[in-house]
Amino acid sequence: MMNRRVFRTGWKKGAMLALTLTFGLAVAGCGTATTSKDGAQADGSAGQAGAASTDQKLVVYSAGPDGLAKKLIAGYEAQSGVKVELFQGTTGKILARMEAEKTNPVADVVVLASLPSVQGLKKEGLTLPYPDAKNADKLNPDWSDKEGHYFSTSASALGIAFNTKLVKTPPTSWADLAKPEYKDQVNIPDPSLSGSALDFMTGYLSAKGDGGWTLFERYKANGVAMAGANQEALDPVITGAKGVVVAAVDYMTYKAKAKGEPIDIVYPTEGTVISPRPAAILKSTQHEQNAKAFIDYLLSDEAQKLVADASLLPGRTDIKADKRANLDEIPLLKTNWEWMGEHGSDVTEKFTQMFK
Amino acid sequence: MGGLSVKHIRGWSLTLALIALFILIVLPLLQIFIQSVYVDGTFQWAAPFRTLAASQFAGVLFNSIWLGICVIAGTTVLALPLAWIMSNTRLAHWRWLDVVLLIPFMTPPYIGSMGWILFMQKNGYMEQLLPDMHFLTASFFSLGGMVMIMSLHLFPFLYLLLRGALVRIGGSLEEAGAVMGGGFLYRFRRIILPLLLSAYGMGALLIFVKTIAEFGTPATFGRRIGYEVMTSEIHKYISSWPIDFGKATSMASVLLTACLLMWYVQSVINRKFTYRLIGGKGSRPSRLRVSSWTTALSVMFILLLLIAAIGIPYFSIIAASSMKLRGIGLAWNNLTLDYYKELLSWGSESMEALLNSVFLSLGASTLAVVLGTWFALVIGGSRTKIQRTVDAFSLLPNTVPGIVMVVGLILWWNSPWMPIPLYNTYGMVILTYVILFVPYTVQYVKSAFTQVDTGLFHAGQVFGGRPSYIFRRIVLPLIGPGMLAGWMMTFTIASRELVGSLLILPPSVQTSATYIFAQFEQGQVSLGMAMAVISVGLTTLLLILMESLNSRRKWK
Repeated sequence: MMNRRVFRTGWKKGAMLALTLTFGLAVAGCGTATTSKDGAQADGSAGQAGAASTDQKLVVYSAGPDGLAKKLIAGYEAQSGVKVELFQGTTGKILARMEAEKTNPVADVVVLASLPSVQGLKKEGLTLPYPDAKNADKLNPDWSDKEGHYFSTSASALGIAFNTKLVKTPPTSWADLAKPEYKDQVNIPDPSLSGSALDFMTGYLSAKGDGGWTLFERYKANGVAMAGANQEALDPVITGAKGVVVAAVDYMTYKAKAKGEPIDIVYPTEGTVISPRPAAILKSTQHEQNAKAFIDYLLSDEAQKLVADASLLPGRTDIKADKRANLDEIPLLKTNWEWMGEHGSDVTEKFTQMFK
Repeated sequence: MGGLSVKHIRGWSLTLALIALFILIVLPLLQIFIQSVYVDGTFQWAAPFRTLAASQFAGVLFNSIWLGICVIAGTTVLALPLAWIMSNTRLAHWRWLDVVLLIPFMTPPYIGSMGWILFMQKNGYMEQLLPDMHFLTASFFSLGGMVMIMSLHLFPFLYLLLRGALVRIGGSLEEAGAVMGGGFLYRFRRIILPLLLSAYGMGALLIFVKTIAEFGTPATFGRRIGYEVMTSEIHKYISSWPIDFGKATSMASVLLTACLLMWYVQSVINRKFTYRLIGGKGSRPSRLRVSSWTTALSVMFILLLLIAAIGIPYFSIIAASSMKLRGIGLAWNNLTLDYYKELLSWGSESMEALLNSVFLSLGASTLAVVLGTWFALVIGGSRTKIQRTVDAFSLLPNTVPGIVMVVGLILWWNSPWMPIPLYNTYGMVILTYVILFVPYTVQYVKSAFTQVDTGLFHAGQVFGGRPSYIFRRIVLPLIGPGMLAGWMMTFTIASRELVGSLLILPPSVQTSATYIFAQFEQGQVSLGMAMAVISVGLTTLLLILMESLNSRRKWK
């Protein structure tokens, strides 16, 4: 019996020694690899403490559209010589990452696709005010913070996108989509995944009061389906599985239309909601000067032109877009951002319950 | 060498394994629990319970569990006949099938679901090809459809485990039964079934856990049919404003408890039905009077399975990846290869993402196999409490939804006091993959190892083999297939991992999966689908290479 034990354990010992050794080596390997990185980082922060001008780094977390974010970064890098690390994701992904990094923040600047989120960040004291931002006075004052905590450098408008092969006479009002001819034909983005869809819902409710819910009740009765984030709601309409997206983000529709897809967008006559896309510097920033310079860049003529070229509404009122409807051509509801920010989670809850 | 020092080293290795697991897996998860009881900086032990009481939680939990059970049934119906065919008929020579059958598994679940949706939906590809079949659409968009999609994605798992077990059972036992006059059903019931049960238990558990932790299919297909599960609920709290890790983690803890319960049941089954099968007497595959009818039926079965698991989704994926305009649909003049050209141009962002994926998953799978084998050997027959603890810990990542594990890892590795600055490096990504997928190697190696009779090691010792020699010449070859399966699985899944990558990749770095996801978000569906085709194709090629190298070695 004793012998057996020794036999059994004997080979095991060999095996374990080998594996333990490998594990040890792997850990050691990681250790050395990371120490060198550590060294590099230490150098960086030392340089930064010494002189701000040698600080050549900036970390930006940006919500789409992808192409625009990259162009803006490239433009800023070319102008400043600063190396930008970009994390690209939806507003939700960015917020989740920020939350996970709460105790040791990494990002310097965030660009989100949702005003209430950035208002929330401001309330929690996470944003750094930059009242002296260049050109901030030319921004649409309704979308940006008076104290300079955030700047909406672009915006999208919400409309009704429709497949031109399936819908011959486009709807003209939000209420049209509750009519029988649109039964089971309509997608609406999920407000828990799409900040802009939520902006539409809270915006509509803030303008119409609690009576606004009747519209959504009638939508539900007419088979309107809640369908993921914006692009997920739009895609079935492009392929013809559905006919219409209500509360569609306009720039995505413009982009698909420019490619030649059978799709178009209308803004209902009773007015719609604009969804601003704010940029903010985080208080925890390690690269304050670069972050401020980046905000200045986002507000510059050059960057605003890039925004307009991406079929978004420029944040500055003095820049016009030629590929899309400009702000003065879009009928607007009388919305209340204060109310919208406060009631976002209630509305999401009630809406997702209703459309489950 | 005295018995004491051997024992000493064994204990040392066990302890080290426990410490490693504790640091790598348990502590990050504990961070999550700590978060769930701290609300606004104060300790509130009842917070998780309040969360659970407040949400429509029971229904969602039931949905998850019911889905898990249905998918176990679905995968069993697919994998069991397949495993039997591939170990008992002439088709066992079709080794290429093993690699082909990994394709459904390499396909990111949300891509596979999208393939099915594009095929089945109104005005979808099926309707464009066969307009008369449109009546199927309504019945497809139901729980049944979801179970089918998930079963077709997950069955290779169960198949690999079952086939491994069947091959180890070998022909002789069954033939002995036949000689003694047992009919097929009797032999199946009294010989194969009990011997298969431990492997099946393990596989079913993995399937269950994979199903209820899966996010891709519920997010694409489930949302469409209004079937809410735990992961979609957790994801909601973790990715939309206001972020609430507390709520997410409270739910995750319940999910975790459900999974641990399953694990317990499985380990009981396992302990009851584990037999030493590989006894050194040499076994040969069973080839029991398989009639040509059976062979023909088997071929039919495999053909249908391949059409459903690969043919249909990939038809959709490839069609979508080569369309000029998605609004036009299937038409020859709508065909283009531009997206592939764009993707594969050297130095492009997509190329970089592709290379990142390959290297990250190569690194991760190799490290995971080494670690996983070590854990599996340490666990052995899980006789002692410590061994069982190691077993449980090493399985944890598989029982926690990926997104929760990843958040735990971020909290842990990005803490201000963490001396190793792993966060936001490639090392962090590899580590995350290793932690997420090490359970596969542990399972596969364990499954291979528990069926090896200790007599073999004694024999080696009797003939004067030193421990290292015995390990190299006896243990390694016997657990080798398990290690290889673990490596292949890890590589396959790591190369398409999405949820963790989305959160953990350093800024400016993409993998093929996050690239695909980003393209969908940006409305470039075709580009995303093209990337899916290329990355799965590349992974398949690599696996074929591995397999052929492996089988050539066997020939020698």
